[in-house]
Amino acid sequence: MDDLLTERLAELAVGFGANVQADQIVMVTAELGRESLARAVAAAAYRAGARYVDVTYSDAFVRRAKIENAGDDAIGYAPPWHVERMKQMGEQRVAVISLEAAIDPAATDGLDPIRLGADQSPVRQAYLRLVMERLINWCIIACPTPEWAARVHPDLPVDQAFELLSQEIARVCRLDEDDPVAAWQTRFDRLTEISERLGEHRFQAIHFSGDGTDLTVGLLPSAEWACATFTTADGISHHPNLPTEEVFTTPDPRRTDGVVRSTKPLNIEGTLVTGLTVRFEGGRAVAIDADGGADVLRGRASRDDGASRLGELALVDGEGRIGALDTVFYSTLIDENAASHIALGSGLGYLVKDEGSKQQVNSSSIHIDFMIGSPEIDVDGVHDDGTRVPVLRGGEWQI
Amino acid sequence: MADLTIDERRRRLARLLVGFGANVQPGQTVMVGGDINDRELVRAVANECYLAGARFVELNYFDLHIKRARIEFGGDESIGYATTWSYEQARAAAAEKWAIISLSGGTDPSILAGLDPDRLGRDNSPVNTEWLKAVSEQLVNWTVGPSPSPVWAGVVHPDMEPDAALELLWAEVERVCRLDEQDPVASWEQRMGDMVATAGRINDHRFDTLHFQGPGTDLEVGLLPSSRFISGGSETADGIPHRPNVPSEEAFTTPDPTRVNGEVRATRPLDVGGTVLTGLRVRFEDGRAVAIDADQGAEVLRARTAIDDGGVRLGEVALVDGESRIGQLGTVFYETLLDENAACHIALGQGFDYCVSGDDVGRINASQIHIDFMIGDDDVDVTGITGSGDRVPVLRGGAWQL
Repeated sequence: MDDLLTERLAELAVGFGANVQADQIVMVTAELGRESLARAVAAAAYRAGARYVDVTYSDAFVRRAKIENAGDDAIGYAPPWHVERMKQMGEQRVAVISLEAAIDPAATDGLDPIRLGADQSPVRQAYLRLVMERLINWCIIACPTPEWAARVHPDLPVDQAFELLSQEIARVCRLDEDDPVAAWQTRFDRLTEISERLGEHRFQAIHFSGDGTDLTVGLLPSAEWACATFTTADGISHHPNLPTEEVFTTPDPRRTDGVVRSTKPLNIEGTLVTGLTVRFEGGRAVAIDADGGADVLRGRASRDDGASRLGELALVDGEGRIGALDTVFYSTLIDENAASHIALGSGLGYLVKDEGSKQQVNSSSIHIDFMIGSPEIDVDGVHDDGTRVPVLRGGEWQI
Repeated sequence: MADLTIDERRRRLARLLVGFGANVQPGQTVMVGGDINDRELVRAVANECYLAGARFVELNYFDLHIKRARIEFGGDESIGYATTWSYEQARAAAAEKWAIISLSGGTDPSILAGLDPDRLGRDNSPVNTEWLKAVSEQLVNWTVGPSPSPVWAGVVHPDMEPDAALELLWAEVERVCRLDEQDPVASWEQRMGDMVATAGRINDHRFDTLHFQGPGTDLEVGLLPSSRFISGGSETADGIPHRPNVPSEEAFTTPDPTRVNGEVRATRPLDVGGTVLTGLRVRFEDGRAVAIDADQGAEVLRARTAIDDGGVRLGEVALVDGESRIGQLGTVFYETLLDENAACHIALGQGFDYCVSGDDVGRINASQIHIDFMIGDDDVDVTGITGSGDRVPVLRGGAWQL
């Protein structure tokens, strides 16, 4: 990715994604190998008036060393000050920008899936709380890397693969538009309109059917539909995922039934889950099977009571730029916007406006999205009286 | 060592820093710090930490490009800012008794080139008193070790091809860290055992003054009554032995900042914040450096030492014998960790309170700076002078005399 695209991507993350405010502290989290964008983000944030930019680099190969060689007491452990840092970040209303890419498979190949699955930091939960309580304006943005490119385009020489991935990310982030922010604003206007219509229907459930899938996801009467434009408790609007194409809600964790087949591979921190099918009964995932990687997802889904229930339901139409590329990115950030999806784990409490119903929203230390939509999957809304309304056909909105 | 793979060479250096340097204990959190370009060695160190039973390895990378972004684009309030959680981290290190391993090597000076020197100068994070407390109260077992990198190799061996320069730097680092020995730890145990015994014999003499004499040098450095030479390792309050510097060849103490007199000529070039001083000569009167001259770069050292009252007085005097492998190499590394162990040296600026006791603690030099420079060589004699005026040879021709 050349310097100009890197800078445009950084400006989009700072100015539109997290919407960094003058005098804010900005946390930037990046794996090693993403320094170019991290540095561009830091510069853009300072230009936007940030008080301080705190860049934290992590390394999947150090994580590998832990999974391979550390004692059991190290698995899932983080020093308590990491949780305290999250608390202070919330109190100080910081902005957070995370650089997302598929990690080098060499960092996770052959690791014990049980230890890998159990190595969930308590800090994650503390971070999710900041998000749920809307204390931070945040953004996850795609960051092209050569390792990621080799994964996505394994048949190309790595430099060509990197160039192609960079162009694809520029495309899906709308950096090829003269004014990327204006292009994003237009797309968000459309998604907002769809989420309002879905809300007006007051469906009691959404039904997915076709190609091995027959799944009914019950909705909470008080839960709203939204697209990925957020506002903090202090009123800072921001766009937490770039790119994004989805409209979503938080479903009833007790009313999911049927069988669903995943339509794209799922990447769980480097482990690829392929050919995934999940059977739900009374809201619980009672059977998780896959051609590969099922044990990692089973490990995650058994972490706590809510980990086997749904926290999110999202619909994606065929107009999104990601689906049109027909590329598997091995990254949930992008792939989940190629297709409709559901997520096991923590729900989105802020979508439930009625305080009394908030405790019905699923609660968990995990949140794992997987893709279940495609042009071949029909999506219907189900009213209280059982009547069905087509929502998506062949990837096009019907409402 | 050249027959080993680079991974194996990193593993040997990492093992030395984790086991012998910091002496990481099972269950400890270990903070591993290094430049963003040190990642390969950082990974090797982290791996050795986990093999040693560490519970968590906390990575602490610094990236000069982020600093550059701050100096270039940040508002005035961002210069020298520190987050509240950076204090939280240091408090945790002290409370939970972490191990700390810091990698040190040359960084690319061009990254910060062309920036406003005033903003650059002010961009020092406020002194994190929590870290000072953790170290001074001996709550953490820590070490600083070298990390050979292409950038550093280019600084040390500018006339060589990059690959050859890096290979030579690796070989030199392995030599001075005794990694060319069959059993590096045993070799260090013996060397440090000898150094501790030598420091003990120096201390037994209770010298009042050290006298350095050689070409261009005739310098008397007064000691405090309780000044005690320290060598080799350190120990935490809980009794975990560790070696704060790998390599370390010195026996050092903190002198009387009011009793330094005479002339001294530096025996090695000195790097002060990126400026190289050659032919340095300093004249002291009653503890103060009253004249600083050099063939080049003298004005930088004059400016640095003028920063506060203690900047022109001594905080350290250290003795290094001719057995030092760093001195034997004759290479200037432009890196204090290695260069200060090449030869006897003195340091302008802050002293060490743990080298003295009682009332003397209040008499040691205080300053914001601590700048070491080499004054020893085979043709510089070191003599101890006792309170009654007896002269006892300490170093002759680079060999201990006691």
